Amino acid sequence: MRKSRPALIAVEGVNGAAVAEAARKALAEAGQPRRGGVSGWDASGVFGELAVAEEDEAGLPSARTLLLLYANDLAFRLRWEIKPALQDGRVVVAAPYVESAIAFGRAAGLSSKWLKALFAFAPRANETRYVAAGIARPGVPTSGLLEFISLRRAKLPQGMTREKLVQGMRAHLDACAKKKK
Amino acid sequence: MPLPNKRRRARQHFSDSGKPRGLLVAFEGPDGSGKTTQRKLFKTWMKAEGFDVVSTKWNSSPLIKPLIKSRKEVHALSPEEYSLLHAADFRHRVEHDVLPALWAGKLVIADRFLFTGLARDVARGLDLDWVLKLYQPLLWPDLVFYFAVSPTTSGRRVMAERMPNYYEAGQDVTNVDDPVESYQRFVTRVIREYESLAVIFNFITVDAERSISEQHHQIRELFREGQRRPWPEWNLDAVAEWLSLKGNGA
Repeated sequence: MRKSRPALIAVEGVNGAAVAEAARKALAEAGQPRRGGVSGWDASGVFGELAVAEEDEAGLPSARTLLLLYANDLAFRLRWEIKPALQDGRVVVAAPYVESAIAFGRAAGLSSKWLKALFAFAPRANETRYVAAGIARPGVPTSGLLEFISLRRAKLPQGMTREKLVQGMRAHLDACAKKKK
Repeated sequence: MPLPNKRRRARQHFSDSGKPRGLLVAFEGPDGSGKTTQRKLFKTWMKAEGFDVVSTKWNSSPLIKPLIKSRKEVHALSPEEYSLLHAADFRHRVEHDVLPALWAGKLVIADRFLFTGLARDVARGLDLDWVLKLYQPLLWPDLVFYFAVSPTTSGRRVMAERMPNYYEAGQDVTNVDDPVESYQRFVTRVIREYESLAVIFNFITVDAERSISEQHHQIRELFREGQRRPWPEWNLDAVAEWLSLKGNGA
């Protein structure tokens, strides 16, 4: 039997719940025989473990350290979730994928050159969808990458407020979405 | 404060001859090269000479080390994941241990530095340019002592004490079941990469086949010559980035 054409769909955005919802929708559009699943962030569990670590003693991780950990998690997802589904000729949705992490890095003041080099191992998505919804309010349960790292556990540059960070991330993702159109 | 101002502040701070400037000395080499023994002797000597000494070891960030340890135990890391986690561990230590100590004018002794990541990751088949980028902005030591031994000596010294573990033996990339045989193959690759790095980055090579005492005296002489080097300007980006984080819980 001939395999169907594989596809990697990236869903990017700052709101974890909205990204997850858009990912489910994208996968549903693929039709049953082609569905290869949704690959969400922290499949490797590094951020879950970080959430319970003794940060008071160790010190908060910077945006750069967090992005190295995110890249590690993405390498894990590519190895165990994304590439196997593609090899099997299926549609796999990565939510989030590379651009949301780059948006976080840019908003935190890191160079786009370094960020692109960091994620050079990740294959280009066949299609990228951008979710416009804003970040969840503080205190609202959320499972989003950017909400986790921007609201809870990042040591950010002096003067960088949560609002400025979210604005920066959204501006980057909006610019990516416009460019795509 | 914008980044150019931070760079200016960093340059002024490290060029101020009126106060002791921080020094970073790295000890590099394959397993079994005796660098830890020499690092300890050096530390004792430096303390006796009146230096305020801080040590940092490879893979020792209290935040990241447990993540690496649990994944190593179940052999769950690909070369890319191994590399990225060690780069995260390194960055966290640079920001929380190394740069604060250097800024305070202390002597930082590193038992392995970023060159360990480069040598091992390239020996695992990763691209040197990509791995080097993971460690940017780069922080160059004032001195790098490279302890040169043959693969045979490294293997003999390691096996005399313990059986190398799965990743030390490079079994994740050699596909050799016997850890001893795998170690010999892997350390040969690691040493080859170290030798290239020694040329590119101007390491001070110590003949680690010589006696402990001979090596220590050679290190003393080399340190006396090397400590007068000017502060490496190419560290400005790393220091400026750290300064920009300093007020936010650093």
